[in-house]
Amino acid sequence: MMFVLRMAVRETRSSWRRLLFFFICIAIGVAAIVALRSVIQSVRGVFGAEAKSLIAADVLIGTSRDWTAEARQTIERRLSDAGGAERTETIETPTMVRPADRSRPVAKMAELRAVQKAFPLYGRVDLQGGQPYTHALVEGHGALVRPELLTSIGVSVGDQIAIGQATFTIRGLVTKEPGRGMGEFSLGPRVIIDYDDLSSTGLLGFGSRARRMILVKMPEERVESLVLTLREDFKEEFINTRSYRSTEDQVGRDFDRAENYLSLVGLIIVILGGIAVSSVTRVFILQKIRSIAVLKCVGARSGQIIAVYVLQVMTLGLAGSLLGVGMAQGAIAAIPLALGSSTSILAQAHYGVTWSAAVQGVGIGVLVSLLFSVVPLLQVRFIKPSLLLRDEATRRRSDWTSIGVLVAVSLALVTLTAWQASSLKVGVVVCSGFAGLAVILHFAGRGLITLVAPLASSRSFPLRHAVLHLSRPGNQTRVILLAVGLGAFFIVGVRSLQASLLSEFSIQVAADAPDMFLLDIQRGQADGMRAFLGGRPHGAGEFQLIPVLRARVVGVSGRETTLEGVDEVRQKGASLGREFTITYRDHLEANERVVEGAFWSGPSPDAEVSIERVIAERSRIHVGDTMRFDILGRSISPRVTSIRDVEWREARNGGFVFVFRPGASTISWSDSRTSRSSTSTRCSRRFATSCRR
Amino acid sequence: MIELREVSKTVMSGSEPLTILHPMSLEIPHGRFVAIVGPSGSGKSTLLGLIAGLDAPSSGEVLIDGVDITRLDEDALARLRGEKIGFVFQFFHLIPSLTAYENVAVPMEIAGAADARTRAEMLLEEVSLTGRAHHYPSQLSGGEQQRVALARALANDPSIVLADEPTGNLDSANGRHIMELLRKVHGSRGTTVVLVTHDAELAAMADARLVLRDGRVVENTLEHTLGLRPIDRLGVVPGGVEGRQGHGEQPEGPLVLSSSKKEPTR
Repeated sequence: MMFVLRMAVRETRSSWRRLLFFFICIAIGVAAIVALRSVIQSVRGVFGAEAKSLIAADVLIGTSRDWTAEARQTIERRLSDAGGAERTETIETPTMVRPADRSRPVAKMAELRAVQKAFPLYGRVDLQGGQPYTHALVEGHGALVRPELLTSIGVSVGDQIAIGQATFTIRGLVTKEPGRGMGEFSLGPRVIIDYDDLSSTGLLGFGSRARRMILVKMPEERVESLVLTLREDFKEEFINTRSYRSTEDQVGRDFDRAENYLSLVGLIIVILGGIAVSSVTRVFILQKIRSIAVLKCVGARSGQIIAVYVLQVMTLGLAGSLLGVGMAQGAIAAIPLALGSSTSILAQAHYGVTWSAAVQGVGIGVLVSLLFSVVPLLQVRFIKPSLLLRDEATRRRSDWTSIGVLVAVSLALVTLTAWQASSLKVGVVVCSGFAGLAVILHFAGRGLITLVAPLASSRSFPLRHAVLHLSRPGNQTRVILLAVGLGAFFIVGVRSLQASLLSEFSIQVAADAPDMFLLDIQRGQADGMRAFLGGRPHGAGEFQLIPVLRARVVGVSGRETTLEGVDEVRQKGASLGREFTITYRDHLEANERVVEGAFWSGPSPDAEVSIERVIAERSRIHVGDTMRFDILGRSISPRVTSIRDVEWREARNGGFVFVFRPGASTISWSDSRTSRSSTSTRCSRRFATSCRR
Repeated sequence: MIELREVSKTVMSGSEPLTILHPMSLEIPHGRFVAIVGPSGSGKSTLLGLIAGLDAPSSGEVLIDGVDITRLDEDALARLRGEKIGFVFQFFHLIPSLTAYENVAVPMEIAGAADARTRAEMLLEEVSLTGRAHHYPSQLSGGEQQRVALARALANDPSIVLADEPTGNLDSANGRHIMELLRKVHGSRGTTVVLVTHDAELAAMADARLVLRDGRVVENTLEHTLGLRPIDRLGVVPGGVEGRQGHGEQPEGPLVLSSSKKEPTR
């Protein structure tokens, strides 16, 4: 053992320069793993600590309808049964905000939040300039707004703004508020007003997109039982109940996915480093052949010699990993600098290398060093001491031990990958992909050597020898091709994934794409809006009013599918359980195509609906089936008369899963409309310009 | 005792078998100084490799102190070499990443000797390289490297020293110096020395001679010299080297190897 230790120290002392590349490969890979994991864990820590302030309550009961008397009674009873709880109510709705001064024709979409005196139950509302938040600031038609609203519509603190039919005075600027999480989709800046003042705006009519919430603060141990009880109570109604833990769990799952994905990226970087390690080890052993032969000549067994180099590799792997942890620490230290004075929840995280990330990184670094060097190190067994008597080439050989070790190393890599991705399937797929690619690159290498072989008879000395070097014994052609090929594949893969995700989330801005959407236009506002947009001063050229309502499927009666009630639709209705935005019209849009049945040609008093193909297939709904919808409390049972294919990427006018035939007298369709205007006219540009001013 | 029984070596040369050593039998009793001589390609080094267990014979048995080494696996052979055989090569074959001291200490460390440090220092002193102990092979001259190699060969106090053209890469003065050291080792420790050389003058220093030609033994003086101690033939006495006298060139270092100092401990 002393021999192994001493030789490992001596070899490391003498060959550390040659193994510097080995060292750096591992360090970079480990730095990637440790930095990515640590950042995710740091951010996750903030979310864990702030889970209650993310929803500003222990329990959140929400609905997009008016609270019915029965629902309120049930909630009261359950809260009373739970031993009493503190509560407050809020209503949130997207709406347009403009200066009260009508001579300034600018407007900005905002997210309105009406709050009661007890708000917030958790967390705090921070106002710019250190102004303390009290409910008195919003009482009597006061408003607190995000600073960006001021510049958007050209107002300042103390000015008046119009929201719906009411006027409010800006009394402060909100920099932070509970219940608004990181990265949440936002239609516009926040505006906070008093709950009691909301009715004066006229924004709560039928078809309103308002979401009503009851926030509850209660003892920790009763939270989950209350949530379960209320969910059972409201399983047939459109009332959702969730606890801060649900948010925490959801955020946790999101972070798990992010952490696993990024860890996998880090691991792949380490594996690429591992391929380099394998190559370096192979060359290193080739350079050490005579020394190994001497050691065998003076009594060393193959096992002892392999142990020397394994120890050396692990020492270098450990040192490289520790350097990687240091590099990660350096990179993470720069994050607060990059965030600057951001008020985002990200800025609240305490960034640093976490112990678990460091331990994992170091473990992976050492393990990958070992796994990728053990196969080339096994060649030590085939080095004969007789080569000291006469020059003889040591050829690469394989035996059952080598094959067994190779299989063990492959299994260890799959396990390592599966561990980092938290999925055996992902581990197998990633490793299989690497193996497949390695085989392709191997043959590509052979093909390349064959292809350039005729150049070996070139008259050019450098070219001739360069080509010959590619196929000389001990050449690294295939290994280099493998490392570069896998590296390029990895970079292209990550970049493609990034581009694909960005393209999924980005809105295609085509020449004919609308440059403005006006939402939540109320029944009484439609004609005024039409006149406003069509009028000469603000003429928007092309525009289209699209009726939209929010609806839920509450039943299906069909050939294959029969669902009765909200609960059954939620449980068994595939994708039908959520709330849908629906419309009616008498024509197909350019991005739609009927694949089954026939689309109507005009209004009819009979209720008919056309369904999008994917959801029809998923829910096994066919032409001729009858569906039952709850549209903001009103019921309609249309017959399915057509199934449409919708090209969602080209959905200029918003894609709709359910399109109804106009003319049904059951409900009024004109309560909520969306206006779409085109950029193609001079007037619309003026309108946009005035908005920006 | 080294014993070869009907040992032969045949290799494939392309698709044709090529016999390097024809079947031969011989015995080298303990304490002999034997020179294997012959022209290039006569099979000298192959024979040395078979004796050392570095190579496997195509047929026959090789016995070292009664143990048939052809039946041993690689690890057992390595262990046997570490315990019983010391090597001196034409090209020294020191490990370049180790100092002179470390090169000498390595065989003892492999064998697990507790006093490796002391013994390595003692051996370096015996070959007059105390001052160069912490130099790397690249910092030593050829003669110094070969003396380190000789010290390494003696590290575990082997009963056999196999020397393959030990002077072939040295100038004549250093060559003689190494030969004198070998003779000294043989004389003072009673070590069996098998020397491969094509130099008749060097071969004459041995107490027996085995001449090979085309893989066959054409002359074997082992039988004639049985019972004759090398110390009698070469005039080497403990503490001095008379054999050096009469040569014009001076080797790089003094010849001090002496048997009077110690009986190596393991």
